[in-house]
Amino acid sequence: MKKKRTVFLWALVILGVMMAGCAKKSGGNQAALEGEKERTAEDAKGKDSIVCYVGHGFWDGSLDPVKGGFSYGYGFINNGLVRINAQSEYEGDLAESWEISEDSLVYTYKLKEGIQFQNGVDFTAEDVVFTYETVMADQGQNEKVDLSKVEKVEAEGKYTVKFTLREPFSPFFDITAQLGIVPKDGYDSAAFDKMPIGTGAWKVVQYDAEQQLIVEANENYFEGAPEIKRVTFVDMDNEAAFSNAQSGQLDVVMVQPSYAAETIDGMHMEKLETMDVRNISLPCREPGTITNARGEEIAVGNPVTSDKAVRKALSIGINRQEIIDNAFQGAGRPAQGWTSNLIWGNTKEYEDSKTEEAQKLLEASGWKDENGDGIREKDGMECAFEIYTPSDEQDRYMLAAALAENAKKLGIAIEVKQTTWDEITAKSYSQGVVWGFGQYSPMVIDNQFQSGHFGNQAYSNPSGYQNKAVDSLIAEAVSANNQKDAVAAWKETQSIYAEDYPYLYLVNIEHCYFISDRLDISIDTQIPHPHGHGIPIICNMKDWTIKEK
Amino acid sequence: MSKKKGGFWNRRRKTLFFIGAATVYLTTALVMGLLTAPERYGIDYSARFVPPCFAHPFGTDDMGRDMFFRSVKGLSNSIVIGILASIVSSLIALVFGVTAAVRGGVVDRFVNWCVDLCMGIPHLILLILISFMMGKGGKGVMTAVALTHWPELTRLVRAEVLQIRSEQYVQASYRMGKTWFQAAREHMIPQVIPVYLIGVILLFPHAIMHEAAVTFLGFGFPAEVPAIGVILSESMKHITTGKWWMAVFPGLMLLLAVALFDVAGENLKRLMNPNSGNE
Repeated sequence: MKKKRTVFLWALVILGVMMAGCAKKSGGNQAALEGEKERTAEDAKGKDSIVCYVGHGFWDGSLDPVKGGFSYGYGFINNGLVRINAQSEYEGDLAESWEISEDSLVYTYKLKEGIQFQNGVDFTAEDVVFTYETVMADQGQNEKVDLSKVEKVEAEGKYTVKFTLREPFSPFFDITAQLGIVPKDGYDSAAFDKMPIGTGAWKVVQYDAEQQLIVEANENYFEGAPEIKRVTFVDMDNEAAFSNAQSGQLDVVMVQPSYAAETIDGMHMEKLETMDVRNISLPCREPGTITNARGEEIAVGNPVTSDKAVRKALSIGINRQEIIDNAFQGAGRPAQGWTSNLIWGNTKEYEDSKTEEAQKLLEASGWKDENGDGIREKDGMECAFEIYTPSDEQDRYMLAAALAENAKKLGIAIEVKQTTWDEITAKSYSQGVVWGFGQYSPMVIDNQFQSGHFGNQAYSNPSGYQNKAVDSLIAEAVSANNQKDAVAAWKETQSIYAEDYPYLYLVNIEHCYFISDRLDISIDTQIPHPHGHGIPIICNMKDWTIKEK
Repeated sequence: MSKKKGGFWNRRRKTLFFIGAATVYLTTALVMGLLTAPERYGIDYSARFVPPCFAHPFGTDDMGRDMFFRSVKGLSNSIVIGILASIVSSLIALVFGVTAAVRGGVVDRFVNWCVDLCMGIPHLILLILISFMMGKGGKGVMTAVALTHWPELTRLVRAEVLQIRSEQYVQASYRMGKTWFQAAREHMIPQVIPVYLIGVILLFPHAIMHEAAVTFLGFGFPAEVPAIGVILSESMKHITTGKWWMAVFPGLMLLLAVALFDVAGENLKRLMNPNSGNE
């Protein structure tokens, strides 16, 4: 008898170990969902209210725009001066129109009149000045909106705001889309962490960190009240969310691409367009050491990927579509650079899977398979390198593994490893890393290709790319006094560095969601989603409607 | 059932049977795992999520890797760690236990203090701490498992030696001029060997379980290494979509390994214990 009990006990232990992972995170939030169900059993998923799971992004910090809350470039609870539309162009949000001075130092915004905050106070230029000055007074608490280039903000009359910059800085315009305006009259730093007041289409009803956020329609929203009256966002595990969707408790659920081929009764799959690309940094420098600005000596470079022939061969020789099919069940589009849905995007598309051309390129550079093991060598060194992926993102691992399979036919051996971001940062100087990028601001080009960032700033220019022409074009773009010149310079930058293949661009991913059949998420007004799978779907939530059954 | 005597399945036979089964099972898994070429559990995108069938008895995962060979390789990795941990931990336990009991005084207090220190921290947390400190991965989990399984066995060995050290033959050997080390080696250790061996056998499944648990929680082997913990934590991502075979079979393999050893150890203990040995 005792034996049986022991076996049974062990079975329990194993079950316990298996369940520990899921129980750990979802427990509390499942309770939140249950609680929500009890409280509003009728209307949590009623006629004009919905329940959504859009990932974990809300729960990290404050909802207050002054501290970086909702700095996504579109209005939600608060509105910025400008916003991004479905064509990736900027349009006025709280601002009616704007102008930039000849010397690119003064930005003047003319504001819309007759707008009220959710607390009934009129919106005026004073609120804009207050918001910007509050952020500038304590820039340390807002890492998402960088106002260090702003010298002063002034109100000229009730509906005009004038920004003066210290030096020409064209990306300032993007920033005015990211910072939501808070009311001068009624701003309370502590209360706004959970209950910000804005001019937006949604008002916060309740916020429980890492559990739920409930918002209600703002009936006085200046573009008309949303049709859906109440939205509950829940936080849970991806897998728990999928299970909850299966049991019919959610109207919107974000899923990883590996779930894209699944089906849920009463829901359909939407793969939404993004500007989110996955690329792999290929260290461009020869092995050696450099001393960074802090005086630390770091080992950099990779003997294989520093050969341009290897980088180019990979870029033209692999089959991106096959990699996407294998890693993401086809959810994504082949990408060779930044996406064309960005106004500054300029990627010369080319045919890939040119296996023969790639092989010739490698052979011309001296990489030959002499010992017949399927991997090329040169001077006794194998054509092999490592690619690191973060251990909390299975998708990047899947992508790198699919690439490694694909690169075998070129005779290049790639070893895929999963580890922590700390180790990835250290390894990025000498090995490949899978990165994800997608934002409206072209400053990402500066971040990824400006030679000065290498070794000084974590995650910046991990390939160690160095090109004087690119550096000076970036400087030109940053100091341009109008959007047109800036965009032209950013575009030229891309065509120059594209020749050197410092990064292996693989895929423009698609964000996958299961949407309840009763819900219309107005695909036409969805903006191309930036990086951060999950939240971007709410960009046009004010246009969503519930269909009659 | 166990009360019935004289049948074919008496305790001795059962014990031998379980020990035999456990040995055969573990040796097979170990040898198969060591001999399996990585290609057998390589990526095959044309065969992903295949339910158990003749070609893939345990099915395949999201990258089309054969779960049978992956599980076998994983179990064999666990066994290697189990063996290593058993050897290291049991040696530590033997040295600490015997020295503490024979020398007494400060040495005894120090060893007891170490044992209390180790047992005072929840085992899994201690494992995670050590593994994390060693940089995770195979090295981390191996060190953690090897260095944390000795306290119980140390107590056991110490208690046994405490009984033996006042026996007349031990005292006699002291009088004949043997040093404490010689007396311990020649007269005490042979006496504690049975207890010690059972301890080692019972320690082994713990080590395997802990390796799997630490890896499952993400502090052990990285995802690219086939390990039961990695396989089980991956399978959790797919269990909601009905891919049951990814969790069930590797889980059963681990359960079987642990249970067999546990049952064998328990039987062996009763067989070698003079009070119940004649049942």
